[in-house]
Amino acid sequence: MTAVTGEAPADRGGVLGRPLDSREDPQLLRGEAAYVADIDLPGTAHMAILGSPVAHAKILSIETKAAEQLPGVLKVATAADFTDVMPLPCIWVPGGVESHFPPHPYGLPGARPVLTGDTVRHVGDPIAAVVAETPRQAAAALAAICVEYEPLPVVTRADEALADGAPQLHEAVPGNLNAYWTCGDRDRTDAAIAAAEVTVELDLVNQRTINSPIEPRGAVGDYDPATGEYTLYASTQGPHNHRFLLSALVLGIPFNKLRVIAPTVGGSFGTKGYLYPDMPLVLLLSKALGRPVKWVDTRTGLMNSTVQGRDHRQHATLAGTRDGRITAVRCTSHANLGAYPSTIGPGVATALMGRSISGMYDIDAAFCEVYAAFTNTVPLGAQRGSGRAEAAFLMERLVDRYASEIGMDPAEVRRRNLVPKEKFPYDNGLGWTYDSGNYRLNFDKAVELSGYADMPTRKAEARTRGKRLGVGIATYVAVCGVGPSTRMSQEGMLGGTWESANIRIHPTGEVTVTVGSASTGQSHATVFAQVAADELGIDPATVQVHEGDTQKAPYGQGTYGSRSYSMAGPAVALTARKLKAKLVRAGAVLLGAPEHRVVYEDGGIHEEGNPQNAKTLAELAMAMWYGWGLPPEIEPALDETTHFDPPDFNYPFGTHVAVVEIDELTGETEVVAYTAVDDAGTIGNPKIVQGQIEGSIVHGLGQALMEAAEYDDDGRLISADLGHYALPRAADVPFFALDKTVTPSPHNPLGAKGAGEIATVPPAAAVVNAVVDALSDLGVRHIDMPLTPEKVWRRLRGESQ
Amino acid sequence: MDITLNVNGRPEQFSAPPNELLVERLRDGLGLTGTKVGCDTGQCGSCVVRLDGRSVKSCLVLTASAAGAGITTIEGVTTRGGELSGLQEALRQEHGTQCGFCTPGMVMALGELVDATAGGPAPTEPEIREWLTGNLCRCTGYHSVVRGVQRACAAGRDEVPAGTTATTASASEV
Ligand code: FES
Ligand code: FES
Repeated sequence: MTAVTGEAPADRGGVLGRPLDSREDPQLLRGEAAYVADIDLPGTAHMAILGSPVAHAKILSIETKAAEQLPGVLKVATAADFTDVMPLPCIWVPGGVESHFPPHPYGLPGARPVLTGDTVRHVGDPIAAVVAETPRQAAAALAAICVEYEPLPVVTRADEALADGAPQLHEAVPGNLNAYWTCGDRDRTDAAIAAAEVTVELDLVNQRTINSPIEPRGAVGDYDPATGEYTLYASTQGPHNHRFLLSALVLGIPFNKLRVIAPTVGGSFGTKGYLYPDMPLVLLLSKALGRPVKWVDTRTGLMNSTVQGRDHRQHATLAGTRDGRITAVRCTSHANLGAYPSTIGPGVATALMGRSISGMYDIDAAFCEVYAAFTNTVPLGAQRGSGRAEAAFLMERLVDRYASEIGMDPAEVRRRNLVPKEKFPYDNGLGWTYDSGNYRLNFDKAVELSGYADMPTRKAEARTRGKRLGVGIATYVAVCGVGPSTRMSQEGMLGGTWESANIRIHPTGEVTVTVGSASTGQSHATVFAQVAADELGIDPATVQVHEGDTQKAPYGQGTYGSRSYSMAGPAVALTARKLKAKLVRAGAVLLGAPEHRVVYEDGGIHEEGNPQNAKTLAELAMAMWYGWGLPPEIEPALDETTHFDPPDFNYPFGTHVAVVEIDELTGETEVVAYTAVDDAGTIGNPKIVQGQIEGSIVHGLGQALMEAAEYDDDGRLISADLGHYALPRAADVPFFALDKTVTPSPHNPLGAKGAGEIATVPPAAAVVNAVVDALSDLGVRHIDMPLTPEKVWRRLRGESQ
Repeated sequence: MDITLNVNGRPEQFSAPPNELLVERLRDGLGLTGTKVGCDTGQCGSCVVRLDGRSVKSCLVLTASAAGAGITTIEGVTTRGGELSGLQEALRQEHGTQCGFCTPGMVMALGELVDATAGGPAPTEPEIREWLTGNLCRCTGYHSVVRGVQRACAAGRDEVPAGTTATTASASEV
């Protein structure tokens, strides 16, 4: 493990912390960046996948002859072609519980076969793959494959899947229960609730949503018979991880025979880090056909195959005193894992949610239990803010419910219960130890900026326009900076979660940074150049950044859970420090000065007290390239790598305030103002973080107002295209009022905390709190998301949920 | 079917099946991959190009029905690695793009708005947002895009772009 100091970087007037323009933007604006669909290797054939049209059935027969005869068709593959291929594994099994999984030969939990041959378990479950000369020919041939099904009963809700007599999905998983997982202190919590002056309860549905990156997933497989090497181009947020999982655990080929390249990736939000059947398929079929094989998903395909998010049904209880002191919180959740455990889905549904439920509050007793169940739906995975958003929704709805029960202002209740500054590091009793925070400062800033005190006036004014105005507050703490590998192993993660960076200072003094992380739109090339330039005291324009190709980048784990800046960023900084230390050592020789008098500063070294005796970085780099006259203990050249594994997670937090207006006539909810004050520790590039925060808030508002993956009773996803799955559009949101507080994390040398997705965590709670506030005089105590106009309109007319 | 299109100022002649979509011709036939495909249903706007000056979703246009038309794609807006247009430059300054997948479609659609309002009053924020409803972006939340358009429109008019700082823009509304 790398030693870490607790200090944030001093303001040296460097380039870190400045809102530099994103250097990726020009190529993107000119449409020049190549996404996976734009990759066109010579001789490429095209693959299409036949997904099951039914949610649960035995496959009696598959007839492919007719399809094989169609023009352009090169191959039709079914499960029978891949009997020696291992199933895709699941690598995050909740820690400390007995988990039941379909088996994998390596003793790992197996998730799903590459192609399903016997039983299909969700609509979209892949049954066959066609490769043809053109994408159209491949797609057309799917219709000619005849599959005979024997229908089986279907279940799409987690709670129903656990009921007696429910349809069974996996022989190895009796009762469909993948995991029963708990955290916190059950007895203490039950006792506190039993003894409480006030208790409130809520049943919450955190509906299933679809991340919907605008770029659908895609993959190109290219097998080279001359070398026996495979290359996979894929829309992935973790190329190294995919390399490891696919080579060793699926294909059974040596690690060094698979290269994974992430080209430009068009958004992910958690969905593109998973193993999907299409990845091994393009590789295996490329080998079989001796040609590159390319697959690009459709939108409907994506919706029926790419992991979906959230999907908890929670029963929650909060206990407190009459004067606003929260004493306990308890949650029982039924989490819907879908038909198979996705690569890390079971961990997302348990630890990320359960350990986060107490949020920013100092609560004496807390307990959460999760029943994670299989159903006939698309596998569950991460989704921007995953777990933490479900937790914040639960807690923040409860706090409002409690405030209304005791007749206290919801802002005041929150203020009274925030973890005080002196209590950090703070053990939340559920498994997280918050690193640092000044919650009161953050909270007061947001409440003040939102104009909270003026809301009564604004409500009265809105009424004159036929609108009901409501205000809702939501706070959150989001575990980020995944993370300490050993700690994650206790959570059941089967893999390291460190991150890496390599820096080469070239003989001419320019710098190349390579990181193991991989951007899905977060301007890594800009930000990591800033980190390196800041440390080395040089112009960021002389720093190039590369990532995303496993043959070129140091091992790393990729981008997820808002980890890149607080994981790869420190790796870059620490590597730069190694180089500086080396330059000081070598500089002593080159300057003919004692080492303790050699100082690295402003992109060069000099002798203390003798500034004329100096060398620039370019001079040093050339000298190190020649390597002349170096003592044996100093190696020539400037090339260092760091693998950074932090001592613990980091915990960004924040407070959001939503103001909504509900149209009395139509039930339409409009977000008319939104204030967000987030604390992501020390920020590398505020312009880029602002963009991520704005996007994150809109994503969260989407869940509150319009997004829902709806399955019918037969397990068909009704909302399988963007005409039926509503995403927020530009006219659905106003400009936001944004501000920040800065509490550096002691767990990395940049003082950084996660930022990318954290602002997706509270908006759903803020908006639902605001809507319930607007309807509270009608006796409305809760309303399930999404808050469609029809649903709100019915409540305005006094209908119950 | 033999078809002629004028694409980015160059005449292109080819034979296309009657059911071919314009986006397929542009991407697969002509190798102009700047135009993206994000959905199957004409909802996302990633595929927007200009057809005789008007922005259209090229996944909803048959190549055959565009015969004889002038098409501008993102590749026609600037040369490779070349200088950005005023709109692109304004979007760059406001960081109006993150993953960039929606971006070419946005630039093409917003280009029509900028052109259409040139010489008149700058479009208001609601007008810009309304104009953008045909284009989905999952990364930016649209704010930086809207600010970029405001900046682009202000540039020709010597105006201070309204709302270019998120904080002040809406803090006053609360
Ligand atoms: S691809 Fe044309 S609108 Fe989505
Ligand atoms: S920038 Fe990613 S979808 Fe718009």
